[in-house]
Amino acid sequence: MKLRKFLHTVPMKIYLILLAVVTFAFFSNDFGLVDIQKTAIILAAGIDKTEAGYSLTAQIAVPKGTDRTTGGTSSVEIEAEGQTVSDCISLIFSKTGWVPKLVFCDLIVLGEEAAKEDVVASLNYFLRNDYMPDSCLLAVCEGKAGELISSKSAIDDASSLAIEKLFSDAAVRSGKVVTNTLKDFAIDYYGVSKSSYLPFVRMTDQAGSQGGSSSGSSGGGSSGGSGGSESGGPSGGAGDSEKIYSAEETAIFKNGAMVGLLPREQTLAFSLLQGNMFTGTVNSEEGGKPVTLTVMKNEGSVSLKTDGAPRAELSLEVTVRLCCRGTTAAMQDISSDSVTPEIISNTADRLDGYIRDLWQTAKDCGCDIFKLGRMLYRSSLKEYARWKDNLLDATEADISAKVISMK
Amino acid sequence: MKNISGKLKGDLKELKKLLPAEDILTFEFTSEKGLAFALVYADPITDKELLGEQVIEPLLNYEGKPAAAEVGKKLTSPELRTEKSFEKLSAEILAGNPVLLFEGADEAIIAGTKKVFTRAVAEPSTDVVVKGPREGFIEDVKINTSLVRRRFKTGELKMDMVEVGRRSKTVVAVCYLEGTSTKQVVEDVKKKLGEIDIDYIPDSSYLTHFLASRPYSLVKQVGTTEKPDIFCAKIAEGRVGLLVDGSPIALTVPYLLIEDFQSSEDYFVPAYRATFTRLLRLFALIVAIYLPAFYVAAQLFKLQLFPVKLLLTIAGSIRDIPFSPSLEMLLVLLVLEVLNEASIRMPKYVGMALSVVGALVLGETAVSAGFVSTPAIIIIAFSGIGLYAVPNLIEQTSVLRLVMLLVAGSVGTYGIVLVTAFVILYLVTTENFGAPLVAPFSPLNAHDLRDSLVKYNLGSLPTRPELLKSPNRRRLR
Amino acid sequence: MNKISARQIYLFLACVAPMGKLILLPAQLANFSKNDLLFPLLVHLILQAAAVFCVLLLSKKGETLYDLLVSAFGKIAAKILATVFALFLLFAALLPLLEQKLFVQNVFYDTLPSVVSFAPYFLFAAFVCAKPLAGFGRTWDILAPLAAVGLVGILALSAPNADYGALMPAGASGGAGFLKGAAAGFPWFYDAALLIPLLGHIDYKEGMAWKGALFYLLGGAFVLFFFATFYGIFQETAVNQLFAFSSTSKYYSGITMLGRIDYVFIYAIALVTAFYCALPVQGCVECALQAYGRKKYLPTILGVLLSALLFALSLLLDYKFADVLQAISGTVFWLFPAFCLAVPALLLLFLLKGGRRETA
Repeated sequence: MKLRKFLHTVPMKIYLILLAVVTFAFFSNDFGLVDIQKTAIILAAGIDKTEAGYSLTAQIAVPKGTDRTTGGTSSVEIEAEGQTVSDCISLIFSKTGWVPKLVFCDLIVLGEEAAKEDVVASLNYFLRNDYMPDSCLLAVCEGKAGELISSKSAIDDASSLAIEKLFSDAAVRSGKVVTNTLKDFAIDYYGVSKSSYLPFVRMTDQAGSQGGSSSGSSGGGSSGGSGGSESGGPSGGAGDSEKIYSAEETAIFKNGAMVGLLPREQTLAFSLLQGNMFTGTVNSEEGGKPVTLTVMKNEGSVSLKTDGAPRAELSLEVTVRLCCRGTTAAMQDISSDSVTPEIISNTADRLDGYIRDLWQTAKDCGCDIFKLGRMLYRSSLKEYARWKDNLLDATEADISAKVISMK
Repeated sequence: MKNISGKLKGDLKELKKLLPAEDILTFEFTSEKGLAFALVYADPITDKELLGEQVIEPLLNYEGKPAAAEVGKKLTSPELRTEKSFEKLSAEILAGNPVLLFEGADEAIIAGTKKVFTRAVAEPSTDVVVKGPREGFIEDVKINTSLVRRRFKTGELKMDMVEVGRRSKTVVAVCYLEGTSTKQVVEDVKKKLGEIDIDYIPDSSYLTHFLASRPYSLVKQVGTTEKPDIFCAKIAEGRVGLLVDGSPIALTVPYLLIEDFQSSEDYFVPAYRATFTRLLRLFALIVAIYLPAFYVAAQLFKLQLFPVKLLLTIAGSIRDIPFSPSLEMLLVLLVLEVLNEASIRMPKYVGMALSVVGALVLGETAVSAGFVSTPAIIIIAFSGIGLYAVPNLIEQTSVLRLVMLLVAGSVGTYGIVLVTAFVILYLVTTENFGAPLVAPFSPLNAHDLRDSLVKYNLGSLPTRPELLKSPNRRRLR
Repeated sequence: MNKISARQIYLFLACVAPMGKLILLPAQLANFSKNDLLFPLLVHLILQAAAVFCVLLLSKKGETLYDLLVSAFGKIAAKILATVFALFLLFAALLPLLEQKLFVQNVFYDTLPSVVSFAPYFLFAAFVCAKPLAGFGRTWDILAPLAAVGLVGILALSAPNADYGALMPAGASGGAGFLKGAAAGFPWFYDAALLIPLLGHIDYKEGMAWKGALFYLLGGAFVLFFFATFYGIFQETAVNQLFAFSSTSKYYSGITMLGRIDYVFIYAIALVTAFYCALPVQGCVECALQAYGRKKYLPTILGVLLSALLFALSLLLDYKFADVLQAISGTVFWLFPAFCLAVPALLLLFLLKGGRRETA
């Protein structure tokens, strides 16, 4: 009877004990938790290679306090050098007392030197880290990544936010930039093609930015030659002057190391072949005068045929309308969007040239950015086994670029 | 049990012995023919005017035999009974019904001239509607039964009167529609009422404890309403209702949790509107319970739950707050509960001052003084409002919100998930009077879902809820 | 509340059971079978569906596991066999619990929390054991829509980012890859065994056995789709994605603006898996009760003891998960087909034999 009475009161006693435990835990508030006040919210990280190993520059968001009249995001950049990337992160902790949290890190920038070696050596920390989103954007920059991350942006409070704007969906649709994430880069790296690409960021002073910042430092020269002047040399560490950034070039990677750089024309061609572009512009000419066309529809494809020797088919079909002429025009001309056969022909030739240059660059660098190896692997294991060692060398490309005027 | 003897003096003495209280008075008078009468009554609760008019005056010229049947014919009171037992007579006196004794009779006459103190039937403040009946129950069981009877002009409506409480002898009317309510539930209710051995029942809420299968549970197990239209609608569905003397809150069983998400107005507006408001109530309640907890857990354990810009805004707001996020939220929540409690009980003329103190001192000054952050105030304010979307569950939900907050502050979001799992398991295994609490969702009943969170048109609800197992299923022909 | 209805069983098989396969199993199969991970999964689903068919057919008789064992082997042997089966269920509970623990530590926290943070789960497991078994069927009525919404939500956010071509070429991992994947997958497939303690509490309906198997396959189809999506998203890196269902949806473009809205679905599934992981423990308690008698507080006491034991094991094996995984899925994986496939089939066989004798 006594036992039954005792057992009857057990649930209530358990509830009371639980309540006491929870209340204690609530007020003691310490199960090794790292709350918002003890956290360094890392927005972006820049990785450079040093003699000792790596240098990591973390851009940490700093809350602005209750006075929010100014708005925006303020940040502070902390640099640490260590043998590994993880070592650098630990040093940031010991320097600031803030626990670095990477859950909001949306951008990792690799310095030019770091990118020339197998970058997975520096990125594997992020790939291993369960608390790091592998959806973050990945880029390479001219010079040192630390300088890029620490630079003062002319267009945003934090450099990383300004750079991320370059990689927005709208920017990708413009065709001027191709983007990649940590996850996709890793897939490419561990995949059969072992080739990938990352946007290449250049930084210029705001004053010196006028006139464009394109360069053609690698790969075959562009056949179009329109626009971009040769400028935009190294500008990192140029004092406190405000910077602007561009990412119109694309670094290409083989086995994790940067092996080449696609200039803006080839980046455009690569973007078009991926079918990314919508309402972006391409330049052309008519009677020696420049014209700009808006791409209204972009159908690009890369395919591989293996009847005998492998043949890649790089085909592009764009529907365009006239956007701008570099000459004065009558009202009747302005009111019409149609494109003349001459412009169509010139544009097709120009795009054809860009694609040929792109193909050649890829071949020269041994970088399978078109994922031909993957295509072959997925379609036929036998053919893949046959060609996997010299696929790019053995492959000839059939290139076609078709331009259609929007009626 | 002692019975009256017919000797007036002796019988009066016996009654006085049983009822020695000073407010039990005796009025003795003699008819013209010399027959001695005595009226024993409880002074404060007997209508003396009515007593004089309907009992004393007719008897002053009484000429008949000293027999209850004869005397009764002379009286003009419509409510007359006879009784022999002193014990029962004393109970009637205490209930406000005077007892007439006279020389030579072995029975006494009980006259129904009780004085009724009632307030007017008015709209209950807790269940206000824009469309629909505005009547509310009051404290008098007779008036309450009349409000029910007026709505059912059928002999099938049964109102079985049961007395509960050793001393209070509180009248409980067990109301049901014969042939519509299940006999088992009616019997169970009466059995449970009969088993109650308590001296005093001040309000119907006392009965809920005895009617519940899990009396110590956090979860409500008996339905409550202050409105006769809702009460009758539930009886019409096959439930059993209880009207308790002295309480304006009627009880209904079996109770389903979904009942409190339904308002009487839902049945007077288009079905799509009713569905929308029911879903809105559920949403408001979920947000009210979970929002403070998730806000705290996210700050302490899982920052990723915030978009980065919101996170930075919050981080900015709490930067100078001296408390941890969990403690801050708990303090604001406690202040809200105190304000809530005080504003209910405070005299109305002080209410305005309280609003000023609450809004200005807490809302504005506390933020600018850096005691609490603006997001915490916003979240608690929203939570406070959201909880009242389902006012009948406020006792349960406010406790649940506090538990969620405590767990979120100590274990984080996983704690919230686990408490939710506990609550789900507890709710689904709770049933009362044969009805599962969370029906028709668990056990799933497709038919009854038509009037749950979703409300079908009246034409699509021709039968009563299956879960109530009514023997008379069809209500719309 | 004494019986579990056919609908509740179907909901369990179609919606709740698949949730237990979405955490570690995808990466585990991707590790061994690579892009062919769907084949071992399909085989497991078919085998389990067959086992589910057998168990539900056994439920027709309305007898508990212990009663069936008694009629086949006698009381003493039945007690031993029921105990062995209970121990197997306890063993089967270990991996999901450790998996759940890792999942919680990763998905519910930004930084690695203290071991204690998972301790409340064992209170819940004990609470589950204290509740009536048949009443537990009612939770499936509530959990099934949650699971369905969770999985469909995750799939809707994930599918646009998946490259389903990554599943080609079929058969690339070869027979060895398939066999290794199949063997490693066994510890996640014990759904039929979970139904065995429910025998005697199931309200059998005509055609329930094949309908149950079909519902299991229907849920399995969603699991297959999820695995395909998972591999389509992560491809060669899939092996690194240990908490599959919490990681596929984060590439949804709306997340930048709205924050991790996918957590609504992730938490819904986590809630369901919390129940699912407690089922083997509850099954173990039920088998013990059937064999040794039912007393008022015994389920609670057993539940508390077993949960405490599992809690102690979880602390003990805190940094040895890889070893545990290797031991269970690499060495003693055969226990799972033995108890989850062979036991239902053998029981059915005995029952059929007995039935023939009865009719004879």
